[in-house]
Amino acid sequence: MSLTGFVRFLRQSLQRLESDFIQAVGLDRSLGPALAVNGPSLLPQPNNSSEPSFLDSIFWMAVPKKRRTIEVNRCRRRNPNKMIKVKTNIEPCVQCGNLKLKHTLCGFCYEKIQKETSLIRRQIQNMEGRPLNTPAVETVVLYENETPGEADQGKRIVERSRKRPSWFNL
Amino acid sequence: DIYQIIHYSFCIWTIRNLRKCKKCQILAPCSQGSCLHTTAQLNTKNWDRKNRIVYPPQQKDEPPRPAEVFHCRRQIKYSKDKMWYLAKLIKGMSIDQALAQLEFSDKKGAIAIKEVLLEAQEMAVKNHNVEFKSNLYVAESFSGKGKYLKRIRYHGRGMFGIMDKVHCHYFVKLVEGTPPVVVQKTPFDQAKEYVEQLRSRTIIHSL
Repeated sequence: MSLTGFVRFLRQSLQRLESDFIQAVGLDRSLGPALAVNGPSLLPQPNNSSEPSFLDSIFWMAVPKKRRTIEVNRCRRRNPNKMIKVKTNIEPCVQCGNLKLKHTLCGFCYEKIQKETSLIRRQIQNMEGRPLNTPAVETVVLYENETPGEADQGKRIVERSRKRPSWFNL
Repeated sequence: DIYQIIHYSFCIWTIRNLRKCKKCQILAPCSQGSCLHTTAQLNTKNWDRKNRIVYPPQQKDEPPRPAEVFHCRRQIKYSKDKMWYLAKLIKGMSIDQALAQLEFSDKKGAIAIKEVLLEAQEMAVKNHNVEFKSNLYVAESFSGKGKYLKRIRYHGRGMFGIMDKVHCHYFVKLVEGTPPVVVQKTPFDQAKEYVEQLRSRTIIHSL
């Protein structure tokens, strides 16, 4: 067996493959008429200019080669980085005893304060009447049996008809 | 004629050894009425029935049987695969720890699971003779596929797909007591066990 003959055979087969590929794609110009036609319309060119239709462009899309088995799928879905991590920063709130995250306010206490502030805001809304009617003074909230002190002289007073809550310090 | 004899004997053999299972309509080997396919009738909610089993009173020498509560919720509007992650999170935890983790989880299914756990805890204290509501742990927790609704999802070029509106079930079993400590097996131990298993194989029917 001669090595040169083998190499020549390989080159020929490669060239044949290449020419077949080019003909299949349509980039080959050698099959058109050899005569030069004197006219406006030239020999039909392969339509590279027009938009490749949907069915042509699917030949070069990435596509899965094989079905992923359930074992492979399980390995991916049950990988520790996809599992939910156990949180270690949960602690009970000192004030109310409900659970809270370490760096966050307690949800229960916040709800409680939100309720009271919404009532105060409603009171202020009733006092003002229409929007954009806020006076250019500070506001102070007074509960039952409370009189405005010395520091509250020039301020607008909002009265709430209930006992002062324990968490709302003066 | 030989073919007739063979056919006849084959029929006799099937009648003797194979029987058509009434429920699943499959020919299966069985003898004297015992069936391999022991599935129950359609659409039975077995998990709910598990709370009804009553054990006979225990003898003095038997170890005390811990109380068990089974609870579930059906047709939760969530995916069974996503619910599985939450179920796996709380598996084996004490009920207080499980409730804490679910309260601060960002997942939609965590709200449903938390409600189920609280209901189960209440049921345990009221009906199942559990003394302390914190003395429970999650023995089993898993999710199952619920009934899907089907809708049309419109694509371009007049194509369409069928969209599934997924639902899932969630099942939980609470057992009284402290959660059992799971010994973490190292990969080295697992490998050693595997090698020992291979070494202990013998050749059957040998001299």
